[in-house]
Amino acid sequence: MSAFLQYTLQGLAAGGFYALSALGLAVIFGVLGVVNFSHGACYMLGAVISAVLLAELHVGFWVALVVVPILMFGFGVLMERLLVRWLLALDPLYNFLLTFGLTLILVEAVKQKYGVSGLPYEVPAGLGGQVSIGSVNLSVYAIFACLFSVVVCVAVGLLLTKTRIGMIVRASTEAPERTRALGINVGRWVTPVFGFGIALAGLAGVLAAPTRAITAEMGSNFIIILFAVVVIGGLGSILGAVVAGFLVGLVEAYGIAYAPTYAQIVIFVLMALVVLVRPSGLFGREEVA
Amino acid sequence: MSDETTTTERTGAAAETPAAQGSSRMLEVTGLSAWYGEARVLTDVAIDVAPGEVVTLVGRNGAGKTTLLRSVMGLHRQIEGTISLDGTDLTRRSADARARAGIGWVPDDRGIYASLTVAENLLLPPVVHADAWPLERVYEFFPVLHERRDFPGTKLSGGEQQMLAMARVLRMGSRLLLLDEPSEGLAPVIVQRIGEIIREIKGQGVGVLLVEQNVKFASTVADRHYLLAQGKVVEHLGNDDFRARESELLTYLGM
Amino acid sequence: MRSRTVQGTVAIAATASLALAACGSGAGGPQSGGSGKLTDDKIVIGLLNDQSGVYKDLSGPNSKTAIELAIADYKAKYGDKAVAKTIEIVTADHQNKADVANSKAQEMYDRQKADIILDVPNSAAALAVATQAANKKKLYINIGAGTTKLTGESCNKYTFHWAYNTAMLARGTAGTITKEGGTSWNIVYPDYAFGQDMNKSFTKEVTAAGGSVGQSIASPFPSDNFATFITKAGEGSPKVIGSMHAGGDLINFVKQFNQSSLKGKAQLAVGLMFITDIHSLGVDQFAGTQFTDAWYWNFDDQNKKWADRFKEKTNTRPSFAHAANYSAAMNYLEAVQEAGTDDADAVVGKLEGKKINDVFLRNGEVRKADHAVTHDVYLAKVKSSAPEEWDYEDIVKTIPAAEAYGEANPACKMG
Repeated sequence: MSAFLQYTLQGLAAGGFYALSALGLAVIFGVLGVVNFSHGACYMLGAVISAVLLAELHVGFWVALVVVPILMFGFGVLMERLLVRWLLALDPLYNFLLTFGLTLILVEAVKQKYGVSGLPYEVPAGLGGQVSIGSVNLSVYAIFACLFSVVVCVAVGLLLTKTRIGMIVRASTEAPERTRALGINVGRWVTPVFGFGIALAGLAGVLAAPTRAITAEMGSNFIIILFAVVVIGGLGSILGAVVAGFLVGLVEAYGIAYAPTYAQIVIFVLMALVVLVRPSGLFGREEVA
Repeated sequence: MSDETTTTERTGAAAETPAAQGSSRMLEVTGLSAWYGEARVLTDVAIDVAPGEVVTLVGRNGAGKTTLLRSVMGLHRQIEGTISLDGTDLTRRSADARARAGIGWVPDDRGIYASLTVAENLLLPPVVHADAWPLERVYEFFPVLHERRDFPGTKLSGGEQQMLAMARVLRMGSRLLLLDEPSEGLAPVIVQRIGEIIREIKGQGVGVLLVEQNVKFASTVADRHYLLAQGKVVEHLGNDDFRARESELLTYLGM
Repeated sequence: MRSRTVQGTVAIAATASLALAACGSGAGGPQSGGSGKLTDDKIVIGLLNDQSGVYKDLSGPNSKTAIELAIADYKAKYGDKAVAKTIEIVTADHQNKADVANSKAQEMYDRQKADIILDVPNSAAALAVATQAANKKKLYINIGAGTTKLTGESCNKYTFHWAYNTAMLARGTAGTITKEGGTSWNIVYPDYAFGQDMNKSFTKEVTAAGGSVGQSIASPFPSDNFATFITKAGEGSPKVIGSMHAGGDLINFVKQFNQSSLKGKAQLAVGLMFITDIHSLGVDQFAGTQFTDAWYWNFDDQNKKWADRFKEKTNTRPSFAHAANYSAAMNYLEAVQEAGTDDADAVVGKLEGKKINDVFLRNGEVRKADHAVTHDVYLAKVKSSAPEEWDYEDIVKTIPAAEAYGEANPACKMG
């Protein structure tokens, strides 16, 4: 029983991190209809920039947590202005391919500059070690990462539900044309929302730096899990991304506990089942005919 | 070819008769043609709406009524011709700029946001005119919206959604409402209520361009009627003429 | 309609991307034609390895530099008497895929007239090239891969295994740690050829040394999240947790192990580690970890001198794979010199049974029975802090060649 509890808590801890990582993907899809394949590469950039800031400028974790998302917001704005914007009117597949190409460029560029072995990064002071709750042990950093993720998800949720900006973003997400016809310049919100989504990817990267290998390829496998998360949750659904993030974390943990070899396959089986039963995902809107 | 010529002439002649409401035309559409790719769906359409006037577009499915509304709103862009409001040319303006200039859009699916509450649906659009209804007045006029203000918009009944869609553009202060089939699929008692609302709006000097298949309902609220067929205005009638020829028109429209 | 269609597209795309994730970029080597008795007056050395993926830093493009040093030394040594006057290197990226390795090897032997192929990390790719070498009757010296099948089931007359194998690593690491009291183990290994091989070898050696392996847990490859695997590996409170991962997986594993409650309770033993791994994670994260190293650049003056030459060209310190590439290329050229020809059978004849002492091989021997190149290896311990960049290892003890490599692989039937 205590083993089960241990796996459950570990799954929840991982799930919080998945939720945060998938959040930006959901926000960008929701408002722009863009499936941003480069989300994994932006996550990688977030981690690599943290490591470079630490190694070359001695800028630590807590500062990186603020600075890196700001840098990545700028990167997202450039990306939207220079590239993504021009393909928005076309089939979504074009932007999917664009961001896929961008991913290859970013990954290769980081490999050229920093090699493939990865960059060092340490757990920030005060967040090392473990805590024991009864017979259950959890790493302090994993708890921190999970709580931090939940706080960010809740903050983004409040931003979306309780503010006028959030109302406009939700309306634009649901029906961009109609929202324009109600006097709102939807286009003006597109760039900052894209930047915000990329900033969230960067933030997840900073959070990953102390606990994962910082390599050019670190996003390549991760993006696939994130796709599974947003497909399960329902593309474009913020709540869906968060719930599915925790769900995937739990499924993965139980998978590892009881069928380790199939731990990742289980996630995709879950995705396939959800898509079969509810094609628009758990929290996706069913389209009105 | 000859058929077209006579149609145009008849329209041209009729256009002069009922519109004698002075120079105060609010919406003025001239020479409007619209395409979907290669297919032409509107040909040289000219219509106008004055303040406080209710004007309907009547015609069979596919006659081009909704395309005309969407062109006026700026949602359909593949057009020629001019669209102006209160003398300002809006033809090159985006949909959101036209909305801020005073055009209010009430689409045929009501256009209620599922992810917004009733109150948020009302508060979403910016206030664009001093005559905009304050929220209190909206709630006073539509008590049911006040009751359900915290519900998701799409939890309302069809009639309530229609009222919400209309209330939304009134709160915004639109000067010209584009109503696309407001009576569609609603119970007679609700349709009657919508008629009352339209008359209330009219009394405030707001113009209404109404797409309607329900000829009976149209004749109870409108001042003038444009008949559309195959993308052209084929008849332009005052409401009295319209009533007198109601059964003929019903047959003509295949309704 | 939009989101529903896209939903489907993404579901498919996500699944399809599973295959794409491991995708790297290809790089073809330069073309060259002709061969001779010295099949048309020149030697062509094919370097086939990972130029863009996880093994790029530990072998990759810098292996070419190592081979160039060997060519320079060979020319300096024999001057006008050199049998091989023109020596070319052709390179290709196998992207860690067996099918790519197979077709690139074929291209090197046939079209680029390679006399020998070197390096080939990744066990599946390595075995594919061994088959090509046997078919084409051309030489192949593997350095980067660990699988014992190269000198076992898949051994052949033209294939040599120069630097290390999983059985040797297991004897060095598992044998030593178990004998020192780390008697109960749980092992986590990546679920592909190399990982499975390592798991078997380690389990065998732990048992042989009087210890026991409680559970062996397979993890998907590649993997980011090891926290739960580590928890599972801690079940039954083993004294030692063995990680058989490599590259990014290893770094993920060690980072997350250091944050787990097992840190300090169980000893971490790493199956295969390269100096580039320590460099990337930081010496303090690995501090105290024991592993078997085939060669260390700062072990003695001879190694240090060669490492300085290497650093001049690459601005980095060599891994054991780089030194082994040098050694393999040098000894191949020496064998050509002795045979007076690049005829594969003649060169194999000169290599078989040869005893070698050079910068990489100490007490080395090209074992005739299975073509394993046996040599002294080292039990290394990661320092707690680095006196200078790349100086990360203390050599705890030298494991003599005979102890490290044991008997020739009985599964090998030289045809």
